[in-house]
Parts: sequence; structure tokens; C-alpha cells
Amino acid sequence: MPAKAGPEPARKRSIVISSEAVIKPLRSIGEFFAMSLDTFVAMFKLPFPWREFLLQAWFVARVSLIPTLLLAIPFTVLVVFTLNILLVEFGAADFSGTGAATASVTQIGPVVTVLVVAGTGATAMCADLGARAIHDELDALRVLGVDPIRRLAAPRVLAATVVAMSLVSLVTLVGLAGSFVFSVFVQHVTPGAFAAGLTLITHLPDLILGLVKGALFGMAAALIACYKGISVGGGPQGVGNAVNETVVYSFIALFVINIVATAVFYTGPQ
Amino acid sequence: MSDSAAVRRFAWLSHWASSLAAGWNRVGAQVAFYFKTISEMPTAFGRYGREIVRQVAQMSLGTGALAVIGGTVVIVGFLTLSTGAVIAVQGYNQLSGIGVEAMTGFISAYVNVRIISPAVAGVGLAATIGAGATAQLGAMRIADEIDALEVMAVRSVAYLVSTRVAAGVVVVMPLYCIAVVCAFQAARFGTTAIYGQSSGVYDHYFHTFLNSTDLLWSFFTVIIAAVAIMLVHTYYGYTAKGGPAGVGAAVGHSVRTSLIVLTLIVLAVSLSVHGQSGHFNLSG
Repeated sequence: MPAKAGPEPARKRSIVISSEAVIKPLRSIGEFFAMSLDTFVAMFKLPFPWREFLLQAWFVARVSLIPTLLLAIPFTVLVVFTLNILLVEFGAADFSGTGAATASVTQIGPVVTVLVVAGTGATAMCADLGARAIHDELDALRVLGVDPIRRLAAPRVLAATVVAMSLVSLVTLVGLAGSFVFSVFVQHVTPGAFAAGLTLITHLPDLILGLVKGALFGMAAALIACYKGISVGGGPQGVGNAVNETVVYSFIALFVINIVATAVFYTGPQ
Repeated sequence: MSDSAAVRRFAWLSHWASSLAAGWNRVGAQVAFYFKTISEMPTAFGRYGREIVRQVAQMSLGTGALAVIGGTVVIVGFLTLSTGAVIAVQGYNQLSGIGVEAMTGFISAYVNVRIISPAVAGVGLAATIGAGATAQLGAMRIADEIDALEVMAVRSVAYLVSTRVAAGVVVVMPLYCIAVVCAFQAARFGTTAIYGQSSGVYDHYFHTFLNSTDLLWSFFTVIIAAVAIMLVHTYYGYTAKGGPAGVGAAVGHSVRTSLIVLTLIVLAVSLSVHGQSGHFNLSG
């Protein structure tokens, strides 16, 4: 940054460098929020690129569906198995449906979905946009008067949000079915008692919480992916690093959103 | 003529069979790669010890943009802090719904150790160290640097892959200790300081049900998971192709595969260790 350092004393230069190290992350955070705002504004501008939206939604759903199911089934079985050990010890195995319902609806459904949407869909989006960025295709779009945020980012963010929310319902269903099969056929819980226990402490607001979480996660992951993809620099290695950062930041965002959403839900008026 | 009609008619069958064979071959290639990586481990320790040390330093503290926020240690610690806090929030509130919120300490000691900490530490590992290794190796592969290593008679699998797997296992041990402590402390802080449960009640139930054997098993699970995660990620990086976008796609595929493998490992260890009896005694 200090182009004309000249015969300046070294002390001053070190101060400049350290302030740069502090400012750079802050600047990226600012850029991220500015881009997110642009994206939200662009979502409500007509004409909306519906074709791109549908293609992206289909793409995210296609790459996420199988991994989501593969991740959801063992994870639910793990949680139900651990909870059932506990409930059997209490002599309350009939309530295993209760534990399964609250675990799948409020935590496993949204978290598993977004791990896959962030790990598969968002990384692919980031790699795609990053490859376009380093080949100056985004600049070419700008020269042609096409806004890359409006044309590329907005439909992707909306698609990831919609698909994440839909996948949450699927994962919840698969999780409940998987826990039913495991509890009833492996751990010998009475099927009727399992079904009756499902709605004991899990109600409609919990389901809505799960869906809202899924939508928020999908949106955050796609925003991070689009920001990292569009702002990529440094050639082929830069794309790999951008995808890596997308995974890390979107997982961090996921856990932050999870705790904030859970805390708001449980401490608010019920 | 009828022959070509039959060929056309069953074209889907040959397409299906060849895609099945391709998938099967990919499994074989992966297994061969993993076997080679493990079998070159002695070479890695013997000749490339310095490289292992360098990888350990790089993985624990991170490089580039990840180093700005403190590297893998801070990220994994942060992830487990947040899940510990979720245990406090949800555990306390749902248990108080049935009048036994005193048991939140027990939930923390039980669920944290058996499920959440191994799973979350594995997720953090896959996202940071694993995906980073895929991105690095992929960039080396498409820049033909790996071929250059081979030309210079450096054993590329031992030098690049085995060292990373070894370094990943070395890094995960202290990392998991930090992760577990963060999860416990976050759950305790949330329950006692925010929801106002007396810390004596929390500590009593927490220490009564904290089982050191379980803790050791969860440590073991994470080490196994670390080996598997590093193997998956290095495979996808080492075999990346298709330019910059291909490296990005390889990172995505590796994260997806390693998350599934991680869950299966945690499940398999949990089922085989705790089994039907559950290793859990309420009465003492």
C-alpha cells in the first residue's frame, strides 16, 4: 500500500502494515454486507432471471439430495440410539419418539441440510463464479451492462434458500422414519408409543423454527459463496482457497445462526 | 439391421453399465490410493520428517485468510463453543418443560461426549484442514507441480499425502482436547450464568455422569475420523482435474464425502462400543 515509502523510518512502515492487517478483514466484512444488500435489492427488481433461478435450484437440489439423505440417516440413528440408551435406563423407552421428534425437527433437520448445502451447493457455486471471475468473464458482463449481482448472485441466493428450506422438511421426514425403524425394529420400542410420543414436546412452532433455520442457513451459505466467488483473486490457487474459505465461513455462520435462532425461539414468549 | 436396432434399444443398458463400472472403478482407485498412502507412511516419517513438522505448524495455526481469524484451533474451538451453548439453551429449556432442568449438567456430560463433540470436531477438521489440503493439492496438480515432483524422483504420495495425513492426526489430538473443554465450558456458562442455575447443582450432575471411559472412546473416534477425513480430502485434491473450477468442485466433493464418512464412523464406533447395553448406569 505505501507506494512511496522512500527513506521513511522503518517504524512508521511497520505501523502502516499492521493497520492494514487490521483493516483488511474489516473491509472484506463491509464488502460482504454491501454485496448482500445489493443482492436483496436485486431480488425485487423486475425482470427477475427466473430461468437462472430454476436452473440453480435444480442444480442445488440435484447435488444435495443424495448426500443429505446419506448424512441424515446415520446421524439420526446415532442420536436416537444414544437417547434410547438413556430412556431405557430411565424405564421410559416409550418416550423415545419424543426425543427423536425434538432432535430431528429442531436440530438434525436444519443442521444436516445446511452442512450439505454449504459443503456441496455453495462450494460448487463459489467454484463456478470464481472460475468466471479469474477469466474476466464477470468484467465482460459488466462491460455489456449486465450486473453480475443481479444476473448471477440474486437467483443463486434465492435458489439456495428455497432448496434448503425444502430439504429441511425432507430430512426431518427421513429422520423421523429412520428413527422409527431403528427404535421399533432394533431397540424394540412399541410402535404406538413411539408415534404417540412424537408430539409431546414438539409442536408446530418447533417445526416452523426448523424451516426458518434451514432458510436462513441456505441464504447465508449462498451469500458467502457468491461473495467469495465474485471477489476471488490470484489465479487457480485463488479459486481453491476461496472455496475452502466458503466452507469454513459458512460452517461458522451456520453454528452462529443456529444458536441465535434457538436462543431467540426458546427465550421469546411461547 | 435388427442388430443395430437392438443396440439402439439397449443403449441405456450399456450406458448404465458403464457408469456403474466407472463408479466401481473409482471406489477401487480410492482404496488403492489409501493403501498406498498408508504404506508410504514409514517413508514419510523417515525422509520427510521436516515436512510433517511444517504441515503440523501450518494446519494448527493456518495460513492465508484463515490465519487472520486464528486458524483451525480457533475455528474448531468456536464451533464446539457454539454447540455447547446450544445444549445449554435447548437442554435447559426443554428439560424445564418437564420439570427436571437440574439435569442439564448431565445432558452436557452425556450428549457432548458421545455425539456432539466428535461430530463437530470432525466437521471443523473437514472444513478447515481437510478442505485446505484439497485446495492446496488440487492447485499443485493442475499446475503440474506434482508431475514435476515425480520427475525429480520425489515420491509424491509420501511427500505430499502421507505427511498431510500424519500431520492431521498429530494436530487433531490437542485440538480435540480444546474442543471438548470449550463445549463443556460453554454449556456450563450458558446454564449457570445465563439461565441462573446454581453452579453446584450443575457441577454435581455433570461430574456424576461424566464417564472417563466414554471420553477416551470419543477421543479414539476422533482420531479414526481424522485419518479417514484426511485420506478422503487428499485423494480428491491429488486427483483433481479440469482447471480452477475443477479444484473448486474437488473441494466440494471432498467435503461432502468426508462428512458422510465422518458420520458413519461416529455411528459405527458408537454402536460397537456402547452396543445394546449402553454402558450407562443411572444408579451409579
